[in-house]
Amino acid sequence: MRRSSTRKPAAATTNAGNRAAAKELERIDTLFGQYADKNEELTIGPEGIEQLCRDLGVEPTDIKILLLAWKLQAARQGYFSLEEWRRGLKAMRVDTVDKLRKALPSLQLEVANIDVFRSFYTFAFQYCLTEPRQRTLDVETACQMLELVLGDQPHVSSFITFLQEQKEYKVLTLDQWTGYLRFCEEINPDFSNYDENQAWPLLLDNYVEWAKAKQ
Amino acid sequence: MEHNKCLQMIRDILMYMDRTYVTNFKKTPVHELGLNLWRDHVVRSPKIKSRLLETLLSFIHRERNGDMINRGLMRNIIKMLMDLGPSVYQEDFEKPFLEVAAGFYKMESQEFIECCDCGDYLKKAEKRLNEEIERVSHYLDSKTEIKITAVVEKEMISSHMNHLVEMENSGLVSMLAYDRYEDLGRMYNLFKRVSPGLALVRDVMTAHLRNMGKQLVTDPERLKDPLEYVRCLLNEKEKYDKIITTSFNNDKSFQNVLNSSFEYFINLNARSPEFISLFVDDKLRKSLKGVTEEDVESLLDKVMMLFRYLQEKDIFEKYYKQHLAKRLLSAKSVSEDAERSLILKLKTECGYQFTSKLESMFLDMKTSKDTMQGFNAMLSSSDICDSPSLSVQVLTTGSWPTQPGTNCNLPREILAICDKFKTYYLSTHTGRRLTWLTNMGTADLKADFGKGQRHELNVSTYQMCVLMLFNAADQMTYKEIELATDIPPVDLKRNLQSLACVKGKNVLQKDPMSREINEDDVFIFNENFSSKFFKVKISTVAAQKENEPEKQETRQKVEEDRKPQIEAAIVRIMKSRRILDHNNIVSEVTKQLQSRFLPSPVVIKKRIESLIEREFLERDTTDRKLYRYLA
Repeated sequence: MRRSSTRKPAAATTNAGNRAAAKELERIDTLFGQYADKNEELTIGPEGIEQLCRDLGVEPTDIKILLLAWKLQAARQGYFSLEEWRRGLKAMRVDTVDKLRKALPSLQLEVANIDVFRSFYTFAFQYCLTEPRQRTLDVETACQMLELVLGDQPHVSSFITFLQEQKEYKVLTLDQWTGYLRFCEEINPDFSNYDENQAWPLLLDNYVEWAKAKQ
Repeated sequence: MEHNKCLQMIRDILMYMDRTYVTNFKKTPVHELGLNLWRDHVVRSPKIKSRLLETLLSFIHRERNGDMINRGLMRNIIKMLMDLGPSVYQEDFEKPFLEVAAGFYKMESQEFIECCDCGDYLKKAEKRLNEEIERVSHYLDSKTEIKITAVVEKEMISSHMNHLVEMENSGLVSMLAYDRYEDLGRMYNLFKRVSPGLALVRDVMTAHLRNMGKQLVTDPERLKDPLEYVRCLLNEKEKYDKIITTSFNNDKSFQNVLNSSFEYFINLNARSPEFISLFVDDKLRKSLKGVTEEDVESLLDKVMMLFRYLQEKDIFEKYYKQHLAKRLLSAKSVSEDAERSLILKLKTECGYQFTSKLESMFLDMKTSKDTMQGFNAMLSSSDICDSPSLSVQVLTTGSWPTQPGTNCNLPREILAICDKFKTYYLSTHTGRRLTWLTNMGTADLKADFGKGQRHELNVSTYQMCVLMLFNAADQMTYKEIELATDIPPVDLKRNLQSLACVKGKNVLQKDPMSREINEDDVFIFNENFSSKFFKVKISTVAAQKENEPEKQETRQKVEEDRKPQIEAAIVRIMKSRRILDHNNIVSEVTKQLQSRFLPSPVVIKKRIESLIEREFLERDTTDRKLYRYLA
């Protein structure tokens, strides 16, 4: 008798925990259902995402949505799968639209950490690769993403101008994309510590040359 | 001397004391004491000391000015000073001697500099140097030699080094230009003694060579004639080789100067590889007739020297192949031995890959000969027909730099025999495919003109097709000819121009007479054609300097070929090193490819990025300066 009485509280806590978790999951799933595609029940499609944006009070082009996609590790631009939704919302500990809305600013805080930001930055590139075997991003889209993701940093607008003016590269590779972030982190505004004999992508060698000529 | 004699006597007398008392009580031995006394009380006595020195120095001064002096006396006095102790000689004589010499030569060198040209000055300096050396050997301590020569070197050479070398109209540059071997040799020997004498000579020579070379390779007049261009290069090389051998004692550091300067300016002109190949082509075509084998070898060796300076050896290879193909196919090569010899030299220099295709070309020629023998044997043993005689060279695709042949409409008679050959060949070589290269063949035609004139015309295959049309008509428009022969317009126009617009070779007449060819222009068989030669050659198959678009095309092809070579080098290096930083990759790749061309760091970087994209390499995640090999 005693044994069973000592066991019970432990089991009770776990059970309570389980029950709470199960309820949360249920609410997450319900929330998912509100936006899910009529035809594809396991996916939230572009229309659903638009509706979600309206409910959250943000523009679809706001960086917050991109952050959300990142948190969900969404594989396909414009779509959230049930798996991704569950994973992301659970990690954020939200299960209602209200809670989600309130959680968005915290995402921005999260990527203030440089290491986390790198992961987000890389995700931003890959998220734009819409075709199945696409590995590169056209310059136009790349510029938009840079503006969105890095807009507030110095010499980003200069780099974007350069990308639009130059004709040698029509697409950007992931290597060039990540190279640029490193460039932002390490190189002085006057390029005084830039060495083109180092392993910087050729694209950036060209950029520095162009920028120096303009000064 | 007298004193010495006396001293010796005294020493002998006091020998016992010398040996016992002196050593026991550590007193100065007699002899030495005697010398010391002499030194202190006589030689160094205030009245004598300065007079002695003055006298000695004035004697020397007089001798420097050309007078004869009593050398024996000098020798004795100096010896006496030396005997009195090393410090006596050095302090009382040598030091002031050197000072005075310095002053003397300082003045004299100033005088000479102002009135002599470089060659004369050097002669004088050399003379003075030798004089001083001789002086030492005659009556000074041998240890003084190095000190006095240092003084002369400093005052006469070091102080005026730059001025001498740069003297206008007589300095180094002028000596080099006018092959003044003796002056150059003198300069070399004198400047060798001082530092940084030879370095200065080398620097000035380098600057001069580079300048001279740059002018040579960028002179627009010279660029019009590739053969002259190369001849000039060879002459300059020979000239400076001779200078280094004759005047600079074959000094390796000067040979290096020569080599690095030549390498510098030869590569200033991107057409150097092409021109060198044209030069070789010319030699192998005709200019080697009647030249001895030794001379041939020596010429080819000289050409190889220039070849070694080229940074873009792969461009040379491309042109060489083209020119060789033309030589072989038109049977214009004068000496197969010479051709083979050069290929062997290229192989030794650049390795098997460079020459394997060239050797395959030779093999094709030989095989074709055998094939033709068999074909002709078959023909003669079969039905005798009045067909044209055919000579075919079968080329292995890939070894020859041929453009893909276009199909033109061959005359009926030719077509028949060509088909016969094809059948014959394919019967013995099943599984192969033959394509006629109508843009590369030649033909000999017998043509009858008015007044019973008959000539044998040597023409291109295309020209043959055109001319055969005139067996059926006396005149045709351009359009009709194009239609009938199906020859590409660019080639057709060029060939028609050779047939109709060249004085002495116009077997066709053109109406209108302009050089330009339009659709409706009429071509008429020229009944009145005449030539004092029976055989008339109309086609040009000799290699010529490429025009601008051709040159661009060749260069582009070579640039394209380079990309996979660079990538292969990168992969090879990374496979063995696994991880490497950027600078090291660049230098390793450059080293591996230097026998073919010089890749720029930018191009290497581009190839690396391409390899990253294709996942042969990746950047290291922790240190992004490094690259990793992906297996």
